[in-house]
Order: sequence, then structure tokens, then C-alpha cells
Amino acid sequence: MIKKYLLYAFLSVTSVITLIPFIWMLGASFMFDGKASVFPPIFLPDPFTFTQYQILFERLNVWRNFFNSLILSSMVTVLYITFTSMAGYAFAKYRFRGKKFLFNLLLSSMIIPSQVTMLPLFLLLKSMGFINTYMAIIIPGLANIFGIFLIRQYCISIPDSLIEAARMDGATDFQIYRKVILPLAVPILVTLAIFSFLGTWNDFLWPLIALTDDSMYTLPVALANLMLEHTKDPELMMAGSVVTVIPVIIVFLALQKYYIKGIMMGSVKE
Amino acid sequence: MSEVILKNVCKIYDGGNKVVTDANFKVEDKEFVVLVGPSGCGKTTTLRMIAGLEEISSGEIFIDGKLVNNLPPKDRDIAMVFQNYALYPHMSVYENMAFGLKLKKVDKKEIDVRVKEAAKILSLEEYLNRKPKALSGGQRQRVAVGRAIVRKPKVFLFDEPLSNLDAKLRVQMRTEISKLHKQLGATMIYVTHDQTEAMTMGDRIVIMKDGIVNQVDTPLNLYNKPVNQFVAGFIGSPAMNFLSGTISEKSDLTFTSDKSELTFNFSSEQKSYLKEYIGQEVVIGIRPEDLSIEKTNIKSIEQECVLDVIEPMGNETFIYFEIEKVQFIARVKPLGDIKVGGKIKLYIDPEKIYLFDKKTGNHLFKNS
Repeated sequence: MIKKYLLYAFLSVTSVITLIPFIWMLGASFMFDGKASVFPPIFLPDPFTFTQYQILFERLNVWRNFFNSLILSSMVTVLYITFTSMAGYAFAKYRFRGKKFLFNLLLSSMIIPSQVTMLPLFLLLKSMGFINTYMAIIIPGLANIFGIFLIRQYCISIPDSLIEAARMDGATDFQIYRKVILPLAVPILVTLAIFSFLGTWNDFLWPLIALTDDSMYTLPVALANLMLEHTKDPELMMAGSVVTVIPVIIVFLALQKYYIKGIMMGSVKE
Repeated sequence: MSEVILKNVCKIYDGGNKVVTDANFKVEDKEFVVLVGPSGCGKTTTLRMIAGLEEISSGEIFIDGKLVNNLPPKDRDIAMVFQNYALYPHMSVYENMAFGLKLKKVDKKEIDVRVKEAAKILSLEEYLNRKPKALSGGQRQRVAVGRAIVRKPKVFLFDEPLSNLDAKLRVQMRTEISKLHKQLGATMIYVTHDQTEAMTMGDRIVIMKDGIVNQVDTPLNLYNKPVNQFVAGFIGSPAMNFLSGTISEKSDLTFTSDKSELTFNFSSEQKSYLKEYIGQEVVIGIRPEDLSIEKTNIKSIEQECVLDVIEPMGNETFIYFEIEKVQFIARVKPLGDIKVGGKIKLYIDPEKIYLFDKKTGNHLFKNS
């Protein structure tokens, strides 16, 4: 019993510690200039104001950046799920020459850090004429081995007889994928969708490199620009952060149920 | 007419592993044929080749007179019921049954009629909106059968459909499938490793071992006239007893077991078959039900044995004993007071004995 209380106490303390910066961000975003830079830090805005948000929306084209982030994250997620699920399913259930070799080759690419590939990727996309377009963000995000691997592991647990039954029922390969595999893989797809959406939404370095025009910036990039101009305005910065963070929190909370299920599944072979 | 013909069908896997060798048999229209054999005998592979789920290495398969070697499963007009039911977990019972028809773009009203008709036959009407996980094993199996029925295929294939059910339900489903066969008048091919299922359900039975079809015959013919020792041992429960020995001609034509514990003379009819086997090693087979505690034939040989195990079944008793260190089992009337370790006299009717060539395992004759 005491052990349990101690555990809960420990968990409560760590969650509070984790939440403090977040609460401070929220509080500071509603403060007047200079109010947040005091020690010890204050968390509740007094007086309360929307000024920072007003300034933010005046100085930055926030709606435009928000739209960029939203459209890019959504498109990357949809395409990423489509491609990785197809590839993962194929690696799990189809027999073809060189399958093992190909899969291992892809797996081994996981050890290459993404920073290493940035320059060649940039040059490649430049030669294709995609720099400073949405395509510069979408194309590199189409698929990765992490997603393919996760879906493959999940699909392996789907019994072959289910696919054979569908085949006997007259389903084509695509119909089997679309009507049998995808519905069964929803938990893992949602998990990957969250990874992909959050990853694209929060990504800073690659959009900074690939997008050069103000109007193309995603929220994190736009926010970073704001930071350079207004280093002494932490309140304004925090308002920007809140605007950036809220959508991803909503997405995560909405899909959390599936997300947990997805992480658990596939860990045990049934 | 929806007959299925297999001509010299072989299946060789990539590593050169031959799992089916020259399978030849014909399933007549509206016939119920059971493929039976021990696990790994190639029966499921044979069924999967008929279904089109497994490629044929050589040979030909005809369904309804049409060569189907290169046809995909969906174009063979067949339906299959899988061992693990293979129901789509995300669909309701209704959707599971309607799936195949939807893919074929059958009219919605027609789908509804067919699904409800199948549900009625299988007593699934109340469960149409349930998901498979909310059904019992027997109900799931019925949904799997229903999914096959609604498509009105030429041939039904069953791959050990009852092996995941408990014993009682298995017996019940067995009769249901037999009834269904009569009701639908369809051609059915059924795979099982259970000889009781095979004997009770099949019009004819195909017995396989190590990828080779041993015998194709009616259940009673398999029981009475097995072509070899394997078939004789496989069909019948409890299984046939075997004892090896030699045929010799002293004063009369005699069988003597290896350690001379059992000897007997043959009838004149048996002798006519056996002359060429004098001096040769043979195996005799005695069905447990042909060993009795009463002397029914004056020619019967008496054999005293020590009981190792007694299994009273109520209406009959299985007794286990050894002859020449070979375990024997007899199926006799209830014994009364005799206990394990006790001695009992059993009578063997020489006319009911089966004889097999020890080398080839082939049946020498059957005196019926």
C-alpha cells in the first residue's frame, strides 16, 4: 500500500515538473510586456490580457502559416499512411524475389541520421524544381522504413486465412488491402498518423531549409523568425507557442485511445 | 454438373519437398468426398490446390469439366470454409456473409434475400448484426458456412472445419453439415484428420499418407476391404491390432507369430490365396471388435491374456493386453468383476483376420 502511495507521489511530482513550463507558457502568453521576465517566475497573469495574441496576429501572417502547417501535415500524413501501409502489407504477406534483402536494406537505412541526408535531399529537390513549394516537404515525408516496419509487424499478426477467404470471396489484391487489411490495421495506422502529423507539424529544420518564402513558412519557422526580431518579448513568443501547440494537442487527445492500443498491439504474437 | 477431377496432381515445394504425389481421383456431382489422413499427409495441400490457393506443380485439375490449373480462386466458382473460420473481425455476421456477393456486384435486394435464407438454414437470424467476436465457436463456424452458402458455388471445400470445436459441438455440427449437403445437393470436399468424421460424413473417402492417395472408396469398403495395412490401421476406432509372423506348411497351412505365442490354421478359402506366401513374413490384422470373450465360431482360437488396462464405456469395454510385447486392444461386452492384472480368455475368429505383406504392407486378402 505504502509502495503504491509512494509511486503515485512520485508520478504526481514528475507530472507537475513536466507541466510547469507548459503552464508558464500559457500564463505568460496572457501577460503584458515585461511581466513574465521576473524571478521567481509567476504563473498567473495579472492583469490578464490578449495583447500578445493581437500583436502576434498583426505582425505575422499567422493564419497563412497555420494553414501551411495544417495542409502540409495533413497531406504528408495521408500520403505517408497510404504508402507505408501498402509497403508494410506487401512485406508482411506477399512472397516475392528479394523481399528479405530489400527489407533488410531498408532497415539498415535507419541508422543514417536525417541530418546527413539533408544536403543531398535539398540538391535533389532543387534539381526537381521543388524548393520553396509544398512538394519539398511532402516528398521526403511520403514513406519511411519506421512506418513500413511497424505496419509489417502488425500485418504479420493478421492470419493468412483471412486474406485467402477474401480471395475466395472474389476480392482483388487491392480490395483485400482496402476492405480487409486497412480496417483491421486502424490502431497501428492511427498511431503512425499521430507520429507523422506531429512530426511534420513540429518539424523546424527541414521546412527552414526547404521553404524560403515568408508565405510558405510553417508555424514553427515563422515563430523562429519572430524570435529573432523580438528576443526581448517572451510574452509574445509564448503566445506564438500556444498557437503552435494547441492543434497538435487536440489531435493527440482525440486519437489517444487508438494510439495506446496501437503501441500495445503487435507486441504479443497472438 | 459440378464434378471435380484430379489427374496426376503433384505439389513440390521450392526445396524439392514433395508433399503430394500423383493424386488421382474424381468427385462426382453432388457427392460428399472426405480427404483423410494423418497430419502432414498432404490432404490440406490437395484441397488448397483445388481451391487455387496453392499452385499445382504438375498435373491437371478440372472443375465442372473446365481445366482450372491457371484460374485464380475467384474464377473457379468454389467456396471454402477454413479451420479457423477466417471471419472478417471488423464486419458483422451479415456483412461477412454478404461480402462475396457485394464484390460480385450482386443486386442489394438479392444479397439480402440470400443472406437471410442462409441465416435461416443455419439458425443465425438473431445474430446477423453481431460481430464475430460476440459469437460462440459453433456460431462462428456456422457463419463461415453461411458465407460459403450465399455464393451458391459449384463446389464447397471444407478444411478441417470442426477441429476447433469441443467434442459435443463437433458431433452436432457434423450432422448439420451432412444435412446441409443433402439440403443443398452440392458437391462437397471435406478435409479432416478424424477418421470418425470421415466415416460418418463421406459418401466416399480418399485416404492419403505421405502425399500419396492410398485408397478411394466408400466408408464400409474401406473398413471391410482396406488395400493395405495403413488404411486398415487408420480406419476403425479403436485401431486394428497388428502382429507379425510367418506362414508355414506343416501338416496344414499355418500362421505362427514371431515368438510362437499365437498360431492358427487357415480355412480352405484362405489357403487358396496364401499358397504363394508360404515361408514368407506377413502381418496379421485383427479388429478390436473381432476379439471376443465368447466362442462364436468353432474354429476360433483361444488366447489367454493378462489385462493391462480396462476402459469401461458402459455399453462395452475396451481391454488392453499384450501378445508378444505388442499392445492389443479388444472391444468386448462389459466384463463384470475382472480387474487389471487378471487373466481372461479371448477368442480370435481366423476367418475375420486380415493379412498383409510385411514388406509392401499390401492386403493379401479379406475373407468376408
